[in-house]
Amino acid sequence: MTIKISEVFGMIMNKKKGILFAVLLISALIAGCVQPPEAEVKEIKIGLVAPLTGGASTTGTDMWQSAVLAAEQINAKGGVDVGGVDMPITLIKGDTETSREGGVKAVTKLITEDKVDLLIGGFSSGITYADQVVASEHKVPFIITGASSPVITRRTDIDTSYFFHHCPTTDDYPEATLLFVNDVVKPRIYERFNFSADRPLRLGVLYQDSKYGEGVYEGIKKAIEKHNLDMEIVSAEKFKMSETDFRTALTVIKESKPDVVYPAAFLNEQTLIVTQGRKDVGMNTIYLSVECNDDPDYYTGVGRWGEYSIQESRFSPYAIPSGPIHEVVEKFKEDFKNRWGTSPSMMGASTYEGVYVAAEAVKNAGTLDKKKVRASLAELEMPQIIEVMQKGVIAFSPDYRESKFELYMEQLIWNETAGETRPKIVWPDSIKETDFVLPDWYEPGSP
Amino acid sequence: MDLGVLIQILVWGLYAGCIYILLAIGLNLIFGVMKVVNFAHGELLMLGAYAAFWIYTLSGVNPYLIIALAMILLGIIGVFIERLCFRPIMGTGKLNEIFLSLGLIYLFQNLVALLWTTDSRSIHSPYSGVSVSIGSIRLPLDYIIIILFTIVFLIAFQLFMKRTTLGRAMRATSQNRDAAALMGIHVERMDMLSFALGSALAAAAGGLWLISGQIADPYMGSIPAIKAFAVIIIGGLGSIPGAIVAGLTLGIAENVVPLFMQSFVGLLGVSMSFTAWKDTIAFFILIIVLVIRPTGIFGEKGE
Repeated sequence: MTIKISEVFGMIMNKKKGILFAVLLISALIAGCVQPPEAEVKEIKIGLVAPLTGGASTTGTDMWQSAVLAAEQINAKGGVDVGGVDMPITLIKGDTETSREGGVKAVTKLITEDKVDLLIGGFSSGITYADQVVASEHKVPFIITGASSPVITRRTDIDTSYFFHHCPTTDDYPEATLLFVNDVVKPRIYERFNFSADRPLRLGVLYQDSKYGEGVYEGIKKAIEKHNLDMEIVSAEKFKMSETDFRTALTVIKESKPDVVYPAAFLNEQTLIVTQGRKDVGMNTIYLSVECNDDPDYYTGVGRWGEYSIQESRFSPYAIPSGPIHEVVEKFKEDFKNRWGTSPSMMGASTYEGVYVAAEAVKNAGTLDKKKVRASLAELEMPQIIEVMQKGVIAFSPDYRESKFELYMEQLIWNETAGETRPKIVWPDSIKETDFVLPDWYEPGSP
Repeated sequence: MDLGVLIQILVWGLYAGCIYILLAIGLNLIFGVMKVVNFAHGELLMLGAYAAFWIYTLSGVNPYLIIALAMILLGIIGVFIERLCFRPIMGTGKLNEIFLSLGLIYLFQNLVALLWTTDSRSIHSPYSGVSVSIGSIRLPLDYIIIILFTIVFLIAFQLFMKRTTLGRAMRATSQNRDAAALMGIHVERMDMLSFALGSALAAAAGGLWLISGQIADPYMGSIPAIKAFAVIIIGGLGSIPGAIVAGLTLGIAENVVPLFMQSFVGLLGVSMSFTAWKDTIAFFILIIVLVIRPTGIFGEKGE
């Protein structure tokens, strides 16, 4: 049998065609099994940067639980409409381990391995200062809900344009607090003790030797200058973070004869400052407190010594501002309790809002493109949720991308049933529950 | 400065010194007998404070009465730590002991955080608002009770160490372990006992600290432990009288020196705050003592 070259060529060609056909067929089958790349993107991945372990793990856990609640609520309503496609939110944990190194590790993992679309959280200015560098390099939008230093969105050594600050800063606390002192506390003191109107209010400051404490102290000075308040800082004492003995510092402050004492301290420190100040040093004055201490542990720890002291706040475990958000806050607290069996904290509240802010920004952008989401955040204007915002809207300032809260003042009033003090909102008038009381035992500074 | 204020500050210093003494004596005892530096001693204080908190919360009895229970509980925990952790590595090198005790710090901190979260815990003493007035000076009753408690503990401890067979055996082990073993003393039992006693004293320190108005959390032991180390180094490693003298000195100096410094620079026309320098003062004293007397005030050569 002879085989012509042309036949051999034809067989080879047929064989080649057969192989080609088989390859095409297998490819088509595989392609049928694998989703196209466009279809893969059907969820919004949000990384929650929080201290889930370590010293601040209680706060971190609360942030996580609040974020989960928000995501579940959004997903239950069909997710977020992103350019016509409803996408659910998927939260991914980024545990900072309450350390700078842990923060950097967590943010790096969220961005490079988990490929998140946005970041939320960032408790502690020190940790956020370290880990935001990674987010800046990768240009990932970061809604910061737990770091109080204004430096976070104002530093110039990195590109901060992707950072959006959704919690009050150390400039905001003293401004609201001192305006309240000037408007409400000072007139009551001056009236009772017949002080001359031109006598400046005497302010004693006790602040933590940290970015936070120094930030509040600077904020106090800025607020006095900005509003031209007739106040004099008669003493300013520093203490180291986690200090447990404030008696010497409080003695120095007492000798300076203040009318009001403003500690810039964390919960454990504030508890001891108020207790030691009244019990040991006998300084019977009005103690002010920064919002991070508006926590059930503070009321338990400070006991009766905290009675009539002032707590600045924006989300309280025991008080709800009267007005438009009253019912929403009650509902949030109830939902949180039903979901987790506990009560939410202030950091949880802003993180809860952070998820809604992220969802709104993505919806408005109509895409998950980070640059467009950033632009959408910059232009965002949405109604306040569970915290009272200035003008009733959540919006970021064009200069440093900070949202502005309507901070309120609470006075701690003894509650016989609870066996502890409970906060009552006393300022501003628009949301207050009761009037400020100057206690009988109050002793002012020098005439 | 007003004399009344100075006396008040001295009492605060004595109170703080008492807590340091209780912690430092336990640390010294463990070091003296076992020659082990337990870096996790502050965590025993923390566990003692938690034990006091939970016993108080569950029973509701006078918090001072539960200190003894907390001490017994921590004594038992101390026995377990010695038997399970330190005994297996005894004699295998100082580095092993150091890293083991450092590991125990993280273990206890995280274990407590896991079990009871990092929430702050506090006990309100029934005498919280009660003060003893001496002239124009008001001294909180709690501090006076704590100072008296410490004096009673120290007397009982000294009697135990000097007058009982067990105490003498512990001192013998502390002086020369091999000779003590040759004399028939069960040195391993002495190790166990010293760890139990040291842990119980740390529990007393933690419990009293909490009752006096301090806050308990899983990380509360770090700073007192550092101070206790400073105390035993200033007083002399292994020396109980040294720990007492150094504890009181440190407690008083921390409270008084910042005020004196402030007054002194005030005389020079400079306004400066020194209240954040408390720890600096403690370690400045430590450096001075070590430069002048490297073995500490009551320390002996070779320890």
